[in-house]
Amino acid sequence: MAIAPKKNIPELLFYSLTAVASFTVIIFIIGIIAVLLKESSLAIGKFGVVGFLTSTAWNPVTGMFGAATTIYGTFLTTGLALLFAIPTAIGIAIFVTEIAPNYLKAPIGIAIELLAAIPSIIYGMWGLFTLAPIMSKYIEPALQNSIGKLPLVGILFEGTPMGIDLLTASVILAIMIIPFTASIARDSFNLTPSVVKESAYAIGATKWEVVKNVVLPYSKLGVFGGVALSLGRALGETMAVAFVLGNSHKIATSLFDAASTITVSLANEFTEADSDIYLSSLYYLALVLFVMSFIILAIAKFFLLKAEKKYSR
Amino acid sequence: MTPTTEIEVKNLDFYYSGDIHALQKISLPIYKYKVTALIGPSGCGKTTLLRCFNRMHDLYPKHRYEGEILFQDKNILANDIDLINLRSRVGMVFQKPTPFPMSIAENIAYGLRLKGIKNKSELVGRIEEALKHAALWTEVRDKLNASAYDLSGGQQQRLVIARALAVEPEVLLFDEPTSALDPISTAKIEELVVSLKKDVTIIIVTHNMQQAARVSDMTGFLYMGDLIEYGSTEKIFTNPDNKQTDDYITGRFG
Repeated sequence: MAIAPKKNIPELLFYSLTAVASFTVIIFIIGIIAVLLKESSLAIGKFGVVGFLTSTAWNPVTGMFGAATTIYGTFLTTGLALLFAIPTAIGIAIFVTEIAPNYLKAPIGIAIELLAAIPSIIYGMWGLFTLAPIMSKYIEPALQNSIGKLPLVGILFEGTPMGIDLLTASVILAIMIIPFTASIARDSFNLTPSVVKESAYAIGATKWEVVKNVVLPYSKLGVFGGVALSLGRALGETMAVAFVLGNSHKIATSLFDAASTITVSLANEFTEADSDIYLSSLYYLALVLFVMSFIILAIAKFFLLKAEKKYSR
Repeated sequence: MTPTTEIEVKNLDFYYSGDIHALQKISLPIYKYKVTALIGPSGCGKTTLLRCFNRMHDLYPKHRYEGEILFQDKNILANDIDLINLRSRVGMVFQKPTPFPMSIAENIAYGLRLKGIKNKSELVGRIEEALKHAALWTEVRDKLNASAYDLSGGQQQRLVIARALAVEPEVLLFDEPTSALDPISTAKIEELVVSLKKDVTIIIVTHNMQQAARVSDMTGFLYMGDLIEYGSTEKIFTNPDNKQTDDYITGRFG
């Protein structure tokens, strides 16, 4: 034992316990990668890497599988969800930290945290039974009759508004990640030293000017971190999306089309996989998601570190 | 030559959180183009008084002013005062340097843009002018686009002073501007304060009595929310009327 000083038994025990606890994390990760690689080896051998990633096939009957449709669905729902969630979350954070009177701050803060505590299955059920009908009856027809009539963007709003589609799934996903993004953004805003804010007010800045030029630049690192966390969560979110996305392995062109994400496919199809190559392809999908999440997290960390270096002093 | 009165404080009472009585019946004149120092032990109300001049207290809930502060004969404690306008006329420099998270040039352009100056060449000229005014120009002329955080503490404080000067305030408030700085930076700031008084009226809060004696023309001594004595710096430091003032400046308490 090189790390532990040879002093006495409690000390040695303490060192070993903490070390073992930490190493389990690494062991788990290695174990997960090993299992994913082993189980997907059949599909890797048959479809290759590029072939699997670019193929839109998903046909259990002929035994042809590809990841393109689910990767597409994953990125589309995640991207749309971030698009809806980030402005809302930053708005909430600005209101709570800078604008709301004190008696409103606590209730809104608690409401945000409660929203974060709701299990995702509840969001899924709510989406299926409450939001989807509302979307198909009111919101989607209204969108079709307004922006849907415009050239170019109109294509996004084609098809029968069923409510079980990309748009509804993204809205649910957005509602789910708003609390995270908002509470991290709020915490970062609160880190802006009040004396810096005061000095902006002291040269005659308005509230909006202080938020825009001092608070936001000061906390953009933290906000970026919050967005990265939300992105990771949205990528992996399963249950909420599974109910309202329709599980269709096609490249959707309209927001009113059904689609599938990697996690939704895994959740829906694991029990149905009746051939070895089907099961192996699902493991392969899981491996793709694992690598994707890892890369995105790594990129986020890289930018955070770079920005931290620039601003810390 | 009798100096003109720029600000007249009349029977000012100030309350924090509804009922904490922080200032009691303060009355004093602030003379134009003079440096007025506010001294006293911690918690005496000198910073509280300073923050009344630009209504900084208004950023926080549950405060109350009573009495009047006449700035060029207009009561700035009135409800209909435009605080944005007031604060661009009464600038403030804080204890710690407070550069904004942007470049050196942008820090100064910020206040100018708030005043509606958008013309690029005018901005460049005003930035240079402000930096020269704050005796920082020669040190930063080659790195105007560098982050303001790359400057030393003393340079940051002069940058903040330049930023405050750029919007051409009539009054400049200093809240212990050197308490976070080393002696050399402190000397530079003090020199700067003295040189600025030909253009602006200055009110400075300081813990450092030598500093008050070095830079100010007038001195007010506050204790427990009362203005104990107010007069020319020379008189306060050599022959004060009040026993408490004498005890404080000679270091017997505080």
